[in-house]
Amino acid sequence: MKGLEYFEVECVEQAGAETYSQIADNILSDLNLNQSIGRLHIYIDPEIPLFLAVGVIKQMPGLVHIRDFASALGTETGVVLDIGTETYLSPMLSILWDRYGRDLITQPDRFTVNILVPGLNPREIEDMVVVDPSEGMFHDIIYALQWIAPEGFKVRRQSIGEGIFSYVASENTLDQEEIEALLKEKFARIGVNA
Amino acid sequence: MTVLVPITYKGGVYRHDIVIDLIDDLGGYIVQKHMIAQEVVLQSLVPKDDIELIRTISRPLAGIVIEAPLVGTEIAVVSPSLEIHHLPHTSCDVAEYLRSAGAKTNMIGLARGFGKRIANLNIEERDIINEHDCAVFMLGNFESCIEYKMPALRRGITVPIILTGRPSTEALQRIIDPPVDGYVGGIGRIGHRMKRQEGEIDRLDALVDEVSTVLSRKREEVAKDPLSVNPARLMTVLDDAMEITERSTHPTPITVQIRALRVKLPYDTYADAIAAIEIENGVRIGDITRILPSRMRDYILIHIRPFSETKIIV
Repeated sequence: MKGLEYFEVECVEQAGAETYSQIADNILSDLNLNQSIGRLHIYIDPEIPLFLAVGVIKQMPGLVHIRDFASALGTETGVVLDIGTETYLSPMLSILWDRYGRDLITQPDRFTVNILVPGLNPREIEDMVVVDPSEGMFHDIIYALQWIAPEGFKVRRQSIGEGIFSYVASENTLDQEEIEALLKEKFARIGVNA
Repeated sequence: MTVLVPITYKGGVYRHDIVIDLIDDLGGYIVQKHMIAQEVVLQSLVPKDDIELIRTISRPLAGIVIEAPLVGTEIAVVSPSLEIHHLPHTSCDVAEYLRSAGAKTNMIGLARGFGKRIANLNIEERDIINEHDCAVFMLGNFESCIEYKMPALRRGITVPIILTGRPSTEALQRIIDPPVDGYVGGIGRIGHRMKRQEGEIDRLDALVDEVSTVLSRKREEVAKDPLSVNPARLMTVLDDAMEITERSTHPTPITVQIRALRVKLPYDTYADAIAAIEIENGVRIGDITRILPSRMRDYILIHIRPFSETKIIV
């Protein structure tokens, strides 16, 4: 797969392994995740049946602050925000509403937001964190793996740690110890001591 | 008795009524008519000897006549579920390809057909699949999984089954016991539309070939004890009497099968009226068919009885 430094699908059935590596490639590129994942190892055992994926996240997107998409200007009545792009407008408004109350936040047009609180420091407003994209990315990675995994594997265990993630799914109950050992083995394949 | 062969006519809207009249005069039947923008597609059954004549007459109209082996059949495309894992890619590609060969396809997404151990088929799904001429089962990528779940999915299915899956055709033949009617390997779950010639489109071509082989066997079976009336003829009689096509918004208000018709009208209201329609010389539709309620919505299914039962051929 393009963009990944390591990618392998391990399965006793050759044809199935090939197809699943194609499916994973298609789905990860559909969801724009192939740039964020560094290494990915998928292990499928159709006998149990079991689907297991372990991976390393290549780059974590940074926090989004108000200064990244707007500039703040202090005035007598409060702070005026000049919005550059509207992508994060909605979460920003929710945060401002929670902090200052709806009455004090006005939006005269699409690209202007007023905070009617006198004496606010515009720099502090600009430093406010609006979104943590890594939360969304974890969600996206798990969604992608649910999509890649065969349907009907309702017994699931997923975990996300410091730059690593794992996903195990089956239709039968999973033995905790066996899965731990298997995860450790597969993580070792991608150079992680979990 | 003239042998009718299935063809598809494609041409412009301009003067296409000439072709319709010609097919009618030759004793052929138009099973389905599509008008798509400026194009007309006619799925028809015509006498074998007259195909060249239709070609000659349609040439000035820039129409083309292609043989479409599946015209006059209704095929169930059975997908393990209607989730993102199984749709739209393989299932829609297969259904669309079979339609381009002239078949009427119905996609059946099973409620619990996914997984390995948990896969099963419920009674309603079984009955609906059994109302078709054949069923194309679209299974997944692993041999051991297909081997395990197939007995549960085929339980109670009486129509011919064509099995598709990612393992090779030989592997599918090896693992399925008792054998099904057709196998096409190389079509499994994928995450993209099929567009490459090698390994994708050629597999769909193989599927069309396999389905037509299976259905020709079925047609031969039917020919041994011929039907009391040709389904396409019965469709024409029914449509002339009740003007169903004109009054319905369904794309195929009367669907022709190899030995039956599906009529998209409510059973309770119309079944008796249909039975009373005269085909020829006092023979009524009810005399030579079994008119049954379909499991698909409240439609009507008309099973045409064979000559051995009715001693009538019209």
